[in-house]
Amino acid sequence: MSTQTVPQLLRQQLAILAESDQRIDGRGRWEMREIDLEVGCLYNAEGSAKVTWGDTVIYAGVKFEIRTPYDDRPAQGSLMCGSELRPVAHRKYDPGPPSPESIELGRVVDRGIRESGCIDMANLCIVPGEKVWMVVIDIHVLSDGGNLFDAAGLAAIAALRNATVPAARFDVGEDYQLPVSLTPIMTTFTRVGGRLVYDANEEEELGGDERVSVTLGDTGAMHSMQKGLKGTFTPPELAEILDVAAEHCKNLRELVDSKVN
Amino acid sequence: MGGYGDVKLLNDDGSRLDGRAIDEMRPVEIRAGVLPVADGSAYVKHGLNEAIVAVYGPMEAHPRRIQLQDQAVLDVRYNMAPFSTSDRIRPGFNRRSREISKVTAEALSSVVLVERYPRSKIRVEIEILSAEAGTRCVGITAAAVALADAGIPMRDLLVGVAAGKVEDTVVLDLDKAEDNYGQADLPMGIMPATGEIAFMQMDGDLSMDELNTAVEYCFKGAADIYELQKAALKDRYNGGDSQ
Repeated sequence: MSTQTVPQLLRQQLAILAESDQRIDGRGRWEMREIDLEVGCLYNAEGSAKVTWGDTVIYAGVKFEIRTPYDDRPAQGSLMCGSELRPVAHRKYDPGPPSPESIELGRVVDRGIRESGCIDMANLCIVPGEKVWMVVIDIHVLSDGGNLFDAAGLAAIAALRNATVPAARFDVGEDYQLPVSLTPIMTTFTRVGGRLVYDANEEEELGGDERVSVTLGDTGAMHSMQKGLKGTFTPPELAEILDVAAEHCKNLRELVDSKVN
Repeated sequence: MGGYGDVKLLNDDGSRLDGRAIDEMRPVEIRAGVLPVADGSAYVKHGLNEAIVAVYGPMEAHPRRIQLQDQAVLDVRYNMAPFSTSDRIRPGFNRRSREISKVTAEALSSVVLVERYPRSKIRVEIEILSAEAGTRCVGITAAAVALADAGIPMRDLLVGVAAGKVEDTVVLDLDKAEDNYGQADLPMGIMPATGEIAFMQMDGDLSMDELNTAVEYCFKGAADIYELQKAALKDRYNGGDSQ
């Protein structure tokens, strides 16, 4: 894909569509693409989920490792969430060490989960000062059809809620379901044709500007926000998307609830 | 091959621990066209192994020093997802994945009509989602279907299949225990229509007679997988009635 000509023509088209309140794939401004969520789909992962979100396909897998705790938190486990934008996901991705884009994706998802407090780190202690669990969530993007952030966030929390702590395999007791008390959900808005829309697809991202991601917890509290890419937005715009976000988060949380026990 | 002789791998009636006959494969499931943004893609589940392959191209070969004047370069990456094994794998390339990528690229280059696309590159991304012995074979089986799905001309499909030896008996398609504690492992890439071998590795201990039996088993297994590959490709175009 040429780096200049195509986005310029696309930007013009997106701007024309936006003037008459239209989107390039016929959706409404706040409308979501079709989603499919599967949980427990990976044999060797202790928790897993596959999200198909429009043309985006993402797997998340949860693994556990035993670590010595940090000195200042001897009775607390830890959490790590990473993502890989491997070349399998799109022809635009090159092989090599993790790109800034893939690091940002992993860290934004990580913050939404961590800061919601959905995992009580005290529950991950095995022997205080000696052994604690580290929960590792790996986000594996197989197809980038746009809005990786929301799809990755959904896959990560669904995989966590599906996870079993493999205590028997590590000889530290019996297996048990990982306690996850909340279901933080991320929603992302992208400026397309001059206005913010929800759930941008691949073309809208290519011809769009900044993105704003918000993660909301079960009570509606905000747990992470991230503005990315070039562009600016105003406080009234933020207030508007937060209202839309609340509605989508509620629906997506119900979807997760319906798939995990 | 791990320490053999100390783990029982065959039942008293000669069957295997998972109940299979010695020349019986694990169940195989193949689907073509599973990834929306790739030019071609395939999913293969073989026993508990799961692989997804995306193909991009043919495209201009970058960087230019990798270009070949008279043929296309196959840029193959075999990668195990961090959650694909019981102990998490640290992301990124390692010596094992580099070697498998190299020999897989060479095997696929023997099947694809690379001379049709001088100075270009075809990217083949093999992602192992779940590993339970035999992932390189599953990757090859899936890569061939993904290349065909991308419309890239080939002399034949390529089937990845392995035979091996457990308790002095040659068996088809080692599972994890047999791979870990068996006496030999022979993964092959077979072109079933032409009867050629495009990929072969082996480690362990095999006599000439055992090798002949193992190769025979591999060809037998490849013939079965070949039918599933063709059915998956036909399914892409007729709404799912071939399987």
